[in-house]
Amino acid sequence: MVMIDYELKKRVMDAHIHDALKYCYQCNRCTDVCPVADLAPNRYNPRNLILNSFLGLRENIFGGDDSFNIWGCTMCDTCDEICPQKIELTGVFTILKNMSIALGEGPEYYTIQASAIYDSGKAIPPQPAIERRREQLGLPKVETPNLEEVKTILNETKLNKIINK
Amino acid sequence: MAKVEEYKLFPGCTIGNRIPFIEASARKVFDKLGIKTSDAAFACCPDPVGFNSVDHTSWLAMGARNLTLAEAEGKDIVSLCNGCFQTLKLVNTELNHNEHEKEKINKILKGVGKEFKGSINVKHFVEVLHDNGLDKIKEFVTHDFSGLKVACHTGCHYNRPSEIVQTDDPMEPVKLRELVAATGATPIDYAEEMLCCGSGVGNAEEAPSMQLLANKFSSAVKAGADVFVVICPACFQQMDTNQKKAGTQSNNEFNIPILYLTELIALSFGMVPDELGLKFHRARLTEFLEKNGLK
Repeated sequence: MVMIDYELKKRVMDAHIHDALKYCYQCNRCTDVCPVADLAPNRYNPRNLILNSFLGLRENIFGGDDSFNIWGCTMCDTCDEICPQKIELTGVFTILKNMSIALGEGPEYYTIQASAIYDSGKAIPPQPAIERRREQLGLPKVETPNLEEVKTILNETKLNKIINK
Repeated sequence: MAKVEEYKLFPGCTIGNRIPFIEASARKVFDKLGIKTSDAAFACCPDPVGFNSVDHTSWLAMGARNLTLAEAEGKDIVSLCNGCFQTLKLVNTELNHNEHEKEKINKILKGVGKEFKGSINVKHFVEVLHDNGLDKIKEFVTHDFSGLKVACHTGCHYNRPSEIVQTDDPMEPVKLRELVAATGATPIDYAEEMLCCGSGVGNAEEAPSMQLLANKFSSAVKAGADVFVVICPACFQQMDTNQKKAGTQSNNEFNIPILYLTELIALSFGMVPDELGLKFHRARLTEFLEKNGLK
């Protein structure tokens, strides 16, 4: 039996003013221009992902053996430009990625980077060797962001719970 | 929008804390052209590919916090990085156009005594250089780069989503080409100019990332490119560090120097490789420098 997840439907529909998503007529232009779908057509298909999202077919998106069906997106935004119905596909995919992370199904890279930002305020924390190189190049020191503020914000958004900090 | 003729410089984590030689070339070029900048204690933009995929609300809040630092001084931001540019521009636009989101984010920022107002603009350094004038660049060119064939690669987040970033044509951008031409070098046409470098998908899986890179490189080689010129540190790292691997995985051997636009401009202004830290590139520039009388 096919289960429809109305919460998923609502989340992706809400991402678009005037419900642009419901005007998708599956023309396949997104998949035509997608560089990843071109390389791996059986593993990543943006048209299919959009279809399953607005139908709320959660099981077709999450919980599979291969999360590449979501994470194959290289975020090039080409599909957004080409869509004749002006659907911001990348915005929908961001919602799916957020859900995938919350389910613990995302690639490790993403939570590791988020953790670095939580701890140091930077995706790439300062390193002594690079600090020396900056000095050699006559560059000023990188100013350290207010880490108290960063932590306060990210605890408030509950990022700490999402990435188990 | 802000009127003060000084920008807050946003180098970003990758340039600042990993490949600072790019920042060196940018600062030198800005100085020469009279583009004034000052620094601030910015945190990660945060990454539109990484952090936004983890939690959109956290991404908005952190981006908004950075924007408030520039707002406090009434200055626009100039970003040296496609990713930082796209994040800050998207966050600025989303919060300016969505009262509900703005209210939600400002409630979070209130906890750290800040408020997003939406009073400044965010610019990519290519826009700033282009607006400043191609003639201004030509004025300072002392090195002859005529005959140098350049494959331009803007990367994805400079010009898309075009409705929001409004920098250039989304599929046929011209500003980078015009800036390269202003140095005297020749931008060439190659079939895969608009192809993504593959950095994004590489966070999930290496093979497709290397395949995209190999396709891009093969196309540029076929068109006779001497160098790539890029404007994004994520693209730079992918193309500079991974070209060997992409070659091996696709039965090719790539050896193409990757120059940041500001490095090409700095060299055209007569600055020397040492002061720009060009030795820190992974894809060696020796042959390129010798051929062009720079060594």
